[in-house]
Amino acid sequence: MSFATDSPVHSSSSDDFAALIDAELEVGSSGSSPDDRGNEEKEVDDDNDDDDEEDEDDGDGDLNDHGNKRCKTEKLEDQEEPQGSTSQGLIEEKLEVSLKDICTHPGSFGQMCILCGQRVDDESGVTFGYIHKGLRLGNDEIVRLRSTDMKNLLRHKKLYLVLDLDHTLLNSTQLSHLTSEEEYLKGQSDSLQDVSKGSLFMLEFMHMMTKLRPFVRTFLKEASEMFEMYIYTMGDRPYALEMAKLLDPKKEYFSGRVISRDDGTQKHQKGLDVVLGQESAVVILDDTENAWTKHKDNLILMERYHFFASSCRQFGFNCKSLSQLKSDESEPDGALASVLKVLQQVHHIFFDELDSDLASRDVRQVLKTVRKEVLKDCKLVFSRVFPTKFQAENHLLWKMAQQLGATCTTETNSSVTHVVSMDAGTEKSRWAVKEGKFLVHPQWIEAANFLWQKHPEEKFPVSQTKNQ
Amino acid sequence: MFFHIVLERNMQLHPRHFGRNLRENLVSKLMKDVEGTCSGRHGFVVAITGIENVGKGLIRDGTGFVTFPVKYQCVVFRPFKGEILEAAVTMVNKMGFFAEAGPVQIFVSNHLIPDDMEFQSGDMPNYTTSDGSVKIQKDSEVRLKIIGTRVDATEIFCIGTIKDDFLGVINDPTTA
Repeated sequence: MSFATDSPVHSSSSDDFAALIDAELEVGSSGSSPDDRGNEEKEVDDDNDDDDEEDEDDGDGDLNDHGNKRCKTEKLEDQEEPQGSTSQGLIEEKLEVSLKDICTHPGSFGQMCILCGQRVDDESGVTFGYIHKGLRLGNDEIVRLRSTDMKNLLRHKKLYLVLDLDHTLLNSTQLSHLTSEEEYLKGQSDSLQDVSKGSLFMLEFMHMMTKLRPFVRTFLKEASEMFEMYIYTMGDRPYALEMAKLLDPKKEYFSGRVISRDDGTQKHQKGLDVVLGQESAVVILDDTENAWTKHKDNLILMERYHFFASSCRQFGFNCKSLSQLKSDESEPDGALASVLKVLQQVHHIFFDELDSDLASRDVRQVLKTVRKEVLKDCKLVFSRVFPTKFQAENHLLWKMAQQLGATCTTETNSSVTHVVSMDAGTEKSRWAVKEGKFLVHPQWIEAANFLWQKHPEEKFPVSQTKNQ
Repeated sequence: MFFHIVLERNMQLHPRHFGRNLRENLVSKLMKDVEGTCSGRHGFVVAITGIENVGKGLIRDGTGFVTFPVKYQCVVFRPFKGEILEAAVTMVNKMGFFAEAGPVQIFVSNHLIPDDMEFQSGDMPNYTTSDGSVKIQKDSEVRLKIIGTRVDATEIFCIGTIKDDFLGVINDPTTA
C-alpha cells in the first residue's frame, strides 16, 4: 500500500485520480460485495480532497489505504522521517513494502494467503488436509517450518517417528471375515468405554474388529519420550482416526498428527513430504517396504502382525492364525519390544555418541551403523539359496546380510562362520557339519533383519529335502 | 459483524400442512431450512426474528405443493476484512493456530503471531512468550484482526492476525 514510493512526482491532479481509480478498482475486485458501498463513499470524499493534495507528498498512498484512521496517521509520521534523512525510517518503510506488496504467499488457507489474506488460486505446494481442511503450504514454507521445528525438537532431545497401523501396531478385520473358529473373540472383546486397558475391540459401527499388538501401549509410552510421533496409514481417514483413538485415548502421543491415504500426495505410496519433519531425523516403522520407495534409508521394516485368519489369508499364508490358535505374540520378546530397543539405541547414538554438530547429524547413518552391528563378525556362505545362474551379489538375502554387517562369500574356507542353506544334503552343508560351523536356514537372516538381533542358530535348523 | 436484515425466500409446502396451522408450519420449516446456513452474500443466518409477510401461494401443477414467497427478518453474521473479532482457539500447531468465532474458521499463521511468542510442542501444544506470562493453547480466547475473508456457499474462512496492538489472549483457560 505504499504508492507514495513508486508513483512519480504528482504532476497534475488528474494523474492522481487515474491512479486512485485504478487502486479502487483493484480493491473492488478483490474485496467482496458489501465493501463496495464503503468504497464508493470514499471515492466521493477523495474527489473533494484532490485539489489540496498536491503539496502533500504522500496523500496518494494514504487515500488508497482505506484502512482505519490510526493507520493513516502512523503512515504520515513514518514517511516524514525519511525526509529528515533518518535511515531507520527508510528501513521500516521498506519492510512494510516487502510485507504487503511482494508477499511471497507462503501458504494458503481456504485459498487465501496465510500472510497477507489475499486470494491465491495457484495449486502449488502440498496440501495438509490432515491438519486442517483447506490448508496448503508452499515448499519454501515447509522448508522453513521444518528447520525451525528441527531446532526445537533437538533441544528436547527428540526425533520424529512415523508409525504404520495395520500389521505394525495392530491388526484389523471385517466382522464378516471372521471364521467360525474366531467367533469366540466376539465374547472376549474389551469395552470401548475405557480403551486404555483393553487390546481387542469390536467396532460394530465400522463392522470391524481390531486387535492391538502386544506391548503396543508400553511401546508408545516409551517411544513418545524420544520421538514426536506420527501415524501414517494406507487406510482411509475415518479408520485412521478411530484407530488413533484406540491407541491414544488421551490424545497425548499423536495430537492431530494422523495421516491417512487421503492426505498423501502420491497414490499407493507413502511420502515424507506431508510430514513436517527434516528427513534426516525421521525414523519410519512399517511392514511394507514398497510403500516407502523414496525413503528406504529411514525405514525399519517390521515383521507383520497377523492376528486374524483373514489377514493371514490376505498375504497367502495357509497356517492357522494366532486367533485360531488362541495365542498371541509374546509381550516381552515380540517385535515391538525388540524394535523399541533398537529405537532406544538409535536415539542414544544420535544424541550421545556422535561428535558432529547436532543439526548435521543424520539418523539414516545411525540406522545403518546399528544395522551393521547385528551380524557383525559373521561370514556367510550360501548353499542352494539362489538359483544357479543368478548373480549372487544381487540377491535380496545377500544384500540383506551385508546390510546387517555380515560378510558374504561364495567359497568355503576356515574363516566362514555360517553356512546358509535350504538343504542339509548339499556339499557345503555337509562341510559345515563336519567343520563344526553353524548350518542355518535363510529365515535366520530374515529374523535378524526384522528383530535387529542375532538369533540362536539352533532355532533355524536345515532339514534334509525328501527327494534327494 | 452482525446485521439485522430482511430476506426473502420461496418456501414450498406439502399439501398435508394446509389447514389451521399453515402459518406455523411455514415458519417452523423456514427456521429449519434457513437458520445455520450460509450465503455468500449475507454470511451466516444466525436466527430468524420475525416474519414480515407471507405472499400469495402458487399451486404447483402435478405435485400439489404450494410455493409461498416469505419475507423474514433475521440476524446474520459476516466477518469483514479489518474487523476485530473474539474467537476461541481450536487447534495449535507449528504452523500457527486455528480459532472459531461461531461458525467462522479463522487461521492465524505463525508469521502473524508476535515474534516473542514461541511454539512449544507436547501433549498441549501452545505459543508462549519467553517469560511464560502469555500462553495461547486450545480453548484460549483470543482477540484477533481479520485480514482476509472468503465466503463460500456453505463455509466462511478467514485469515487473522494477532500481531498488532491490543490483540492476543483475552482469557486463559488454565487460570480461569
